[in-house]
Amino acid sequence: MISRVAQSCFWLTRYLERVDALARLLDVHHALHIDAAAAATTRWRPVLRATGQEASFVERLGDAAVHDGEAVEGFVTWDADDAASLWRAVGAARENARTVRDVMSLEAWEAINDLWLWINRPAARRLFEKNRGSFYEHLIQSTVLFHGVSHGTMLHDEPFTFMKLGRAVERAAQTARILDAHVAQDAGPEGGAADASRWLSALRSCCAYDPFFRGASHALHQTSVARFLVFDQSFPRSVLYNLDETRTLLRGLRKNDPFGLPRRSRTALERARGELLQMDMADVERRGLHSTLNFVIRATDHLCDAIRDDYLEPPQAWLRHCVRVLESLERAPEAERAA
Amino acid sequence: MNAQPANSEAVDPFVGYRPLPKTYDEVFDTEGRVHPSVSPVFERLRGIGRAEYRRLQRLADDAFLRGGVTFSVYGEDGGNPDRIFPFDLMPRVVTRAEWEQVESGLIQRIAALNLFLGDVYGEQRILKEGIVPREMVESSRAFMPSLMGVRPPGGIYVHIAGIDLIRDTDGRFLVLEDNIRTPSGVSYVLENRMVMRRVMPELANARVAPVDDYPRKLREALASVAPCGGRDGHAVVLTPGPFNSAYFEHSFLARRMGCELVRGSDLFVERDRVYACTTRGPQRVDVIYRRIDDEFLDPESLRSDSALGVPGLMRAYAAGEVALVNAVGNGVADDKGIYPYVPDMVRFYLDQEPILPQVPTYVCQRDEDLRYVLDHLDELVIKAVGEAGGYGMLVGPRACREEIETFRERLAADPRNYIAQPLVQLSSCPTWTDQGLAPRRVDLRPYVITGEESWVLPGGLTRVALVEGSYVVNSSQGGGSKDTWILEEEA
Repeated sequence: MISRVAQSCFWLTRYLERVDALARLLDVHHALHIDAAAAATTRWRPVLRATGQEASFVERLGDAAVHDGEAVEGFVTWDADDAASLWRAVGAARENARTVRDVMSLEAWEAINDLWLWINRPAARRLFEKNRGSFYEHLIQSTVLFHGVSHGTMLHDEPFTFMKLGRAVERAAQTARILDAHVAQDAGPEGGAADASRWLSALRSCCAYDPFFRGASHALHQTSVARFLVFDQSFPRSVLYNLDETRTLLRGLRKNDPFGLPRRSRTALERARGELLQMDMADVERRGLHSTLNFVIRATDHLCDAIRDDYLEPPQAWLRHCVRVLESLERAPEAERAA
Repeated sequence: MNAQPANSEAVDPFVGYRPLPKTYDEVFDTEGRVHPSVSPVFERLRGIGRAEYRRLQRLADDAFLRGGVTFSVYGEDGGNPDRIFPFDLMPRVVTRAEWEQVESGLIQRIAALNLFLGDVYGEQRILKEGIVPREMVESSRAFMPSLMGVRPPGGIYVHIAGIDLIRDTDGRFLVLEDNIRTPSGVSYVLENRMVMRRVMPELANARVAPVDDYPRKLREALASVAPCGGRDGHAVVLTPGPFNSAYFEHSFLARRMGCELVRGSDLFVERDRVYACTTRGPQRVDVIYRRIDDEFLDPESLRSDSALGVPGLMRAYAAGEVALVNAVGNGVADDKGIYPYVPDMVRFYLDQEPILPQVPTYVCQRDEDLRYVLDHLDELVIKAVGEAGGYGMLVGPRACREEIETFRERLAADPRNYIAQPLVQLSSCPTWTDQGLAPRRVDLRPYVITGEESWVLPGGLTRVALVEGSYVVNSSQGGGSKDTWILEEEA
């Protein structure tokens, strides 16, 4: 498929995954309002860090506003100038979809276009004011709907593969960011009410509340939560699960390579995944969870760059080189006949 | 008109409908009777009252918006930039007998235009015999002397044509304009029909000729002109990109044909061959259905500031390594200054009389025509040959003194650039307005695809001037569209 089209497919789901992650994160933190154990003074700055908007928020609204949940939610959700806002992410997902409308199913396109039309209606603003939980819920359900509809109606060929790839790498990074935001919270002594509250919030933000407690460990502390969100290979939002998924997808793509091309993305993925597989929780504690998560975030960034160079924006010089190889292959049989 | 009681919404919506004076109304005759040939359809439509109509219109608008059948207007309030083209639910109906005449006339006309292009870029017989003046061709901005002797595969220049037709006071179809460069609008024909079926399914049992075959026919035509021997031709659709107002259509056609939609930056030329940049490395391209104007195709040999095109594309084209659809340089044949000579082309190349008449035209380049035009500016429509979309036009009978004097100066300064035609009273169709059904003027753009043979899409895009009294049907100036029904005979 055309590289630029693959790129839009890849980014379309990355943006959607971002919408999903932001909506969950805000929803969980909004609900914590009524939870006395979580102090407002430490709650919102990590959210802004996780979304990557701390600097632009402080510049626009001042540092004091960081403790004002309403200001943070309004900014993260609606800000039209900050490319990282929810509204902008929905717009970017939809614009990428519009660009590659020709490779999507009607149903998949409508799922994403409906979300864009909805968020631009006054009714969505009113819902945000009157019933915040329902607002976030609608966003989350819309992204889930998109994944279901695209899975059920699109050809499972290359465009769909790049959509899944975008979702997998973004999900790995988002889970790491969300968990990191909770690590950064000041929550009093380990095992205290505030500490428990922050780990519950981390689990809820990753949709992991029930799955976590169904697993073997019922003890709620940093190590058990980190083990689950980073290393569990059956939980679909864990870091490792998504690196496994990425690995399967990249393998499938390489099957179609015309002449054994070297692929940087393979090396980048194997290196990151290999390193995580070798770690145990003692290593994580030694290294510090924050720096482990940072490693994950940097590794996924690096992986995305490699995918870009391999598939999405291959360098011109490399393409022209391939043409010459193809032409020599084409000429080879002729030369044989002549001889 | 408003005499009907407010609560009787089911009352016949045609009550009070008054056709325009001196205009052919496609549904009602001058006595207010429905033309018998279309009456079965309109009898059914009588049942729709105004409230029901408003409900259906909302359903239709919603279907267009959800389907993304929109164009984008940026920078109004920073909100959602999508706009839908106004769509009128009252269909425009043409009988099969009327249509057959149009169909054969269009095929004849396209055949002549094709031969003309082959001739102009080849032997130039028609110029040598003085049937079309050489200076009209050579002074055309769309003429490309660099393509002399370059013959596209199969000798086909006009793979896709959109010929604008109007109906005069007698209901006769006339050719108003030829569009054989990159005519647009066909996606609306297909989407209008789809929405119509969704909104008024009970009308589907009227015997209407289907339009869904268009993408398949186009795909076949593209395959038939692939220059490669043996390999399966790889065809792509080339778009300027998502900010182009017709992007929806480019994407629509690519999807419905199963072709890839590409931009100039997705293609590159190496040793006169065209390749697409794909996830599996470079891939050869044989046919390009391009929706980019000639001058932007290749920054290497044409406009160097074009970021839309592909450097080296014209080299590949001239070497016969890639087919461009439509061919390059077609604009010389649909130049408004060449239009008056098309009937003579039909006679010259085909030895036939033109089946479709056209609007009488004064060529200001000719001294006697120019004198007549300058004396009758207040009766004529003056058109600049290089303009489209209803711009650069003077409608004499509706213009003020000042506008007429401005055009008088322009004409005297650059006569080659202008033609003049009498104002044709475009036919009207009943159209929903805020005041109920009212007559509004329409034109028709049928689409002709030519591969191994020519095929005419039954119907075409009916554009309607929604503004009362207006003759301008262009969407940029208050125009909308209607579904066009070619009504098959009762079996």
